Amino acid sequence: MHALMGENGAGKSTLMRILSGVYQPTSGTVRLRGEVVNFRTPKEARLAGVSTVFQEFTLIPNLTVAENMFLGHEPRRADGSIDRAEVIDRSRSLLTDVFPQLDPMAIVDTLTIAQQQAVEIAKGLTSNADVFIFDEPTAALNSADVEHLFKVIRNLKGAGKAIVYISHRMNEVFELCDKITVMKDGAWVKTAKAEEFNLHSLVATMVGRELQNFFPSRAGETGDHMLEVSNLRLDAEGPTVQFSVKRGEILGLAGLEGQGQREIMRALVGVEPPKSVTVRRRGADSSMRAVNVSSGFSNAISAGIGFIPEDRKQEGLFLRLPIYDNIALGKQLNRSMASVAWRSVSRVRDIIKSLRVAAADPGAPVGKLSGGNQQKVLLGRWLLSGVDILVIEEPTRGVDVGAKAEIYRLLRDFSERGGAVIVSSRELAELIGLCDNILIVHDRKVVGQTPAVGATEESILGTALGSHSTHDQRAAVH
Amino acid sequence: MNTVATYLRVPYRAGAIRLSIGTLVLMVLASIIFLPGFLAGENLSNLLAQSTTLVISALGQTFVILTGGLDVSVGSIISVTTAIMTLDMPPFVRVLLCIAVATAFGLVNGYGVARLNVHPIIMTLATMGIGQGLALIILPIPGGRVPDWLSMSVAGSIGPLPNALVWLVVASLVAAWILYRRPFGLYLFAAGGNEFNARMNGVPVKRTIINAYVLSALFACAAGMFLAGRLASGDPKGGAAFGIESVTAAALGGVHLAGGIGSIFGTVVGAAILGLVNNVMNLANVSAFLQSVAKGALLLVLVVSQRRKTIGL
Repeated sequence: MHALMGENGAGKSTLMRILSGVYQPTSGTVRLRGEVVNFRTPKEARLAGVSTVFQEFTLIPNLTVAENMFLGHEPRRADGSIDRAEVIDRSRSLLTDVFPQLDPMAIVDTLTIAQQQAVEIAKGLTSNADVFIFDEPTAALNSADVEHLFKVIRNLKGAGKAIVYISHRMNEVFELCDKITVMKDGAWVKTAKAEEFNLHSLVATMVGRELQNFFPSRAGETGDHMLEVSNLRLDAEGPTVQFSVKRGEILGLAGLEGQGQREIMRALVGVEPPKSVTVRRRGADSSMRAVNVSSGFSNAISAGIGFIPEDRKQEGLFLRLPIYDNIALGKQLNRSMASVAWRSVSRVRDIIKSLRVAAADPGAPVGKLSGGNQQKVLLGRWLLSGVDILVIEEPTRGVDVGAKAEIYRLLRDFSERGGAVIVSSRELAELIGLCDNILIVHDRKVVGQTPAVGATEESILGTALGSHSTHDQRAAVH
Repeated sequence: MNTVATYLRVPYRAGAIRLSIGTLVLMVLASIIFLPGFLAGENLSNLLAQSTTLVISALGQTFVILTGGLDVSVGSIISVTTAIMTLDMPPFVRVLLCIAVATAFGLVNGYGVARLNVHPIIMTLATMGIGQGLALIILPIPGGRVPDWLSMSVAGSIGPLPNALVWLVVASLVAAWILYRRPFGLYLFAAGGNEFNARMNGVPVKRTIINAYVLSALFACAAGMFLAGRLASGDPKGGAAFGIESVTAAALGGVHLAGGIGSIFGTVVGAAILGLVNNVMNLANVSAFLQSVAKGALLLVLVVSQRRKTIGL
């Protein structure tokens, strides 16, 4: 079991795509069981026994789970038609081993991100391969499902399969893998047994330097309450949620997957209006005034509240537009349609420079940037727009280690300049390191609040589950 | 029916089919109650004969729309087919010629869309023009004679079953078999749902798209045969309306024009709604201009009330 590590943009995913036949190498050879192979299509690779779970989902939204799992290699009947019964039976038996909660007849589009990831993994198991490649399989999974997946991977390993494992989560790599190869800037750096690395030396090898302080120091002193959310009801019958953020504070929303963090975040900015919500923020004259978020996100923006969604590519960025335009949009938000859009080239340049977006040319399309740089572009947009409250989902999803530290620092800078940040994340360690205070969300309500200093992953999960111990099962894929 | 069972198992992918069925049922009930002549045998067989061409061409159109494309050349292929059927040649040569011409049109459409990346509307607009011209060259004015067996196969009946119904049912079953039983059908949904991911999974997307256009052309060819049989002659402009009407019928049946969502049963229902509107308004002596207004309004109301999900338009 071999781990492939490296920052985003190091070339791990590209290498895996070559191994799985999506891309063709310009030079060099790939050997499978000692023989030189050259896969021209993903299908050839799969037939040769190389099965890949891609980082980017490759699911088809309008097909069922079962159809997705066998797409491209459906079991056929004698007359060449698809053997539906076989498709359903085999996917059901595969799913009972891995993710028993998944219904093979469910349409993929109706599943949550975590469930889709589960399908993606299950799909990789349908072919009887000898080599399995997992490219960040746990990026969207919660702890319970990760444990489940590890069991499956260990079984594969026990059955004598070769496994390539890519992850940005260090503890997973140390827990699972025998060997680690580090890549940087598209080139090989080092291969060694997992025992020969420790967390620090591994990170140092990946970024090429020691990371001094992964997380920036916390807020020294926080100011007045800056934003108050009260009477937030996600369902007509549901409990109400209330909390507030102070000036200079970074507030985290923690909890198991799909317990309502996402809905709460989106409700308070008006992206997905809830049943009811009252949002009040401190105005220039230091009195609290209401923000009418229920009639849409634009009201939040004009009240100085910005929002960065989890799905940067789909919901945040205009991938084909240049970096410049993506940031400059921040200046045009909430202005009359008829107003003149001056090009503020120098201000955008300043922002690109101060965020250290790694791109020589602000005219390059955002889609070509790595995850970390894309996140910086989104931050830049809100910096330009001048908001002082930022709501940000999964700030480092798909972001490599080096850039993670930078994004944490940028968020902390934002709060230190008199802003307030609300952040949600699946990685509890991230919330504990980054935030000042953490709200624990479970079953669509806030079940606890804790200062981040002194909090542990166990204490947070304990609070979340303790509040509803009878519903433990819901923590799994469902 | 096969399609109904599939629909029940995978309701999502069939689109807003319940709405279409409900509309059709209401319209039939209203027609029976308010139009005394509606249930007369003559009117019903008229309605069936008028609708069958539409149903068959809309079935072909459905394959193309499922990939996210559009085939407006359907009408011209119907016209060319009726024209070829009047040529002075042995009947079976005429049939083979029709099939060959339709296949050629489908291949050109599909090749242009899948390989040359021409937008489907532009591609099929071009071949629509070519096909219309070709039909007028072969048969400048309506007329000529089609083989007797063809007229018989459309007009007669097998026992109590009118032949037109047999055409309709056979075409629907063939379409349903292709869409729900063949791997090609699954690939159509996959290509329409997410083309890039379909390719990543080893779906031959380009070949699937080309085949969809060929199928559309072949169904148009069958629709043309039926029309020629019904008219017992050729009409070089007789198919022109079906390019747009077949799209309308599919949309009325819950097929999403963005691709990936739709069903054979839905298309049949949609085509039946459109055929019924034509028939009923003729029966009620509504002016042709007003009929057009009513059809446009119906399309708008029905499509707007379909609940839209994240994929499809």
